[in-house]
Amino acid sequence: MEPMIDFQLIYNSLPYLLRGTIVSLEIAFLGCLIGVSLGTVLGLLQSGTNKLTQWFVAIYATIFRGTPMLIQITFVYSVLPEFGIVLPAFWSAVIAIGLNSAAYLSQIIRSGISSVGKGQIEAAHVMGFSKLQTIRYIVLPQAFAVIVPALGNEFITLVKDSSLASTIGVAELYKEATRIKGISYDVVSVYTAVSLIYLVITTTLSIGINKLEKRMNRHVRN
Amino acid sequence: MLEIKQLNKTINGKKILDHVSLQVPQGSIAVLLGSSGVGKSTLLRVLNNLETADSGAVLFNGKQLDLKTIHTSHIVGMVFQHFNLFDHLTIEQNITLPLEKILNKSPEQAQNIAHTYLKTYGLLEKAHSYPSQLSGGQKQRLALARTLALEAKIICLDEPTSALDPILTTQVAKSITQLAQQGYTVLIATHDTSLLEKLSCMIYLMKDGNIIESAESQQFCADQAQYPKIHQFVSGIDQ
Repeated sequence: MEPMIDFQLIYNSLPYLLRGTIVSLEIAFLGCLIGVSLGTVLGLLQSGTNKLTQWFVAIYATIFRGTPMLIQITFVYSVLPEFGIVLPAFWSAVIAIGLNSAAYLSQIIRSGISSVGKGQIEAAHVMGFSKLQTIRYIVLPQAFAVIVPALGNEFITLVKDSSLASTIGVAELYKEATRIKGISYDVVSVYTAVSLIYLVITTTLSIGINKLEKRMNRHVRN
Repeated sequence: MLEIKQLNKTINGKKILDHVSLQVPQGSIAVLLGSSGVGKSTLLRVLNNLETADSGAVLFNGKQLDLKTIHTSHIVGMVFQHFNLFDHLTIEQNITLPLEKILNKSPEQAQNIAHTYLKTYGLLEKAHSYPSQLSGGQKQRLALARTLALEAKIICLDEPTSALDPILTTQVAKSITQLAQQGYTVLIATHDTSLLEKLSCMIYLMKDGNIIESAESQQFCADQAQYPKIHQFVSGIDQ
C-alpha cells in the first residue's frame, strides 16, 4: 500500500503539535537570549587585551564547540545533580543550549567587534565617552549590524537543535510528534507535518532576519 | 592662550616629540607643518589623550591641564583626518548622542544645538541622512560641527585637507579662519602647503619631533628667503 498522508490525523494532532511548537520556540528563544548575552560578554572579553580572559574564552569555546550538544544537555540534566545542582528538564535544555550557543556567538560577536574601525573608538574617546558608553553606543550597534545574518543563522540552528531537548523528556515539538506516532503508528503523516512546521518557522525567521539586516544596515550607502 | 611646554614622547625607542614647546594665543591658528612621521599628528593626539606624553606640560589660559583627563574636560576637540564620524548614526545623531550622553543635555536641547550647528555648516537638510551619504567636504563640516557642539575651545585638525580638492580646501580654510575669528584656538597638522597661503597663521615646521623653524604666514609669503627651512619644505626640496 502506498504511504498516504492522513490529513484528519494531522488536523486532530494540531493542538498538541502547536503546544510542542511553542515549547520549542521558548527553548530556542531563551537559549538565544542566554547565548547572545553571554556571547556578547565573552566576545568583548576576547576582544580585550587581558590574556587571562582571552584564554578563558578560548577554552570555553573549545569545550562547547568540541562536544555534541546532546552530551551537553545530558550533562546538565543528569550529571549536575550528582553535584547537588538539580534543574527541571526544560531549564536544563535551555541552559545547555544557551551555553553552547554562547560559545559560537562569542566568536561571531568578536569578529563583529573587530570589524568596527579603531577611528570610531578614538573619536568616542576624544569626545569623552567612557569605555562602557563606547561599547554600548558605538561599538556594539555597529558590530551587531555586521553580524545580523550570522546571528539569524544561529537562532535558526537553535530552533532545530531544540528538538534535542526531547531526549531528556521535554515535551517540545519532536517529542509531541513521537508521542502521536506512538499512538497512531502513522510515521509519514506525523513527521511530514512536523517537518513542515519546522520549515514554516525557519523560513519565517529567515525573512524576518533579512528585513532586520536591511534595517540595521540602512546607514550603508548602496 | 594655549601653551605647550617641553612635550616629549618616545615610541619604541624613537623620539616622536622632542621637547616641543609653542604658544598659540586665543583666536589664532597654528599650523604644524612637516612630512609624514615628524610628530605633528602625535602632538595633536597627545593633546586629546590618544597618546600619553612622557613629560611636559600643557597650559590653557595659565592653568595647567591634566593630559590624562583632558578629553573629559572638553576644552580640546579633534577633527580627524578621516573624520571618524559614527557611521551607524544619522548626521543629527552624530551631534546629539554625545550631547545627551556626555554633557547630559535633554533630547530637545541636544536637537536644538545640533540644528544650530547643522544650519551654520549647511547640513540641516541632511540631518536624517547618514555619513556615507555625504561628500568629503560635508563630512569635514559635520566633524567640525560635532566638535564645536561639545563646546571645545581648542580645535585640533589632523590633515584637514588631505582628502579634499582645491575648491574644498579653500572652503575649509575659510571655515578655519572663521573659527579663529570666533575666538577658537586652532591647531592644524598638515603637509598640505597650499593651505598656508589661504590662512593667516603661525607656521611651525617640524622634523624628527622638533620644531626646527617658525614663521608668521604673511611674513613668510612676503619674504620666503628669511625662512629657508620652511621655504625648502614648501618648494619640495629635500632637507
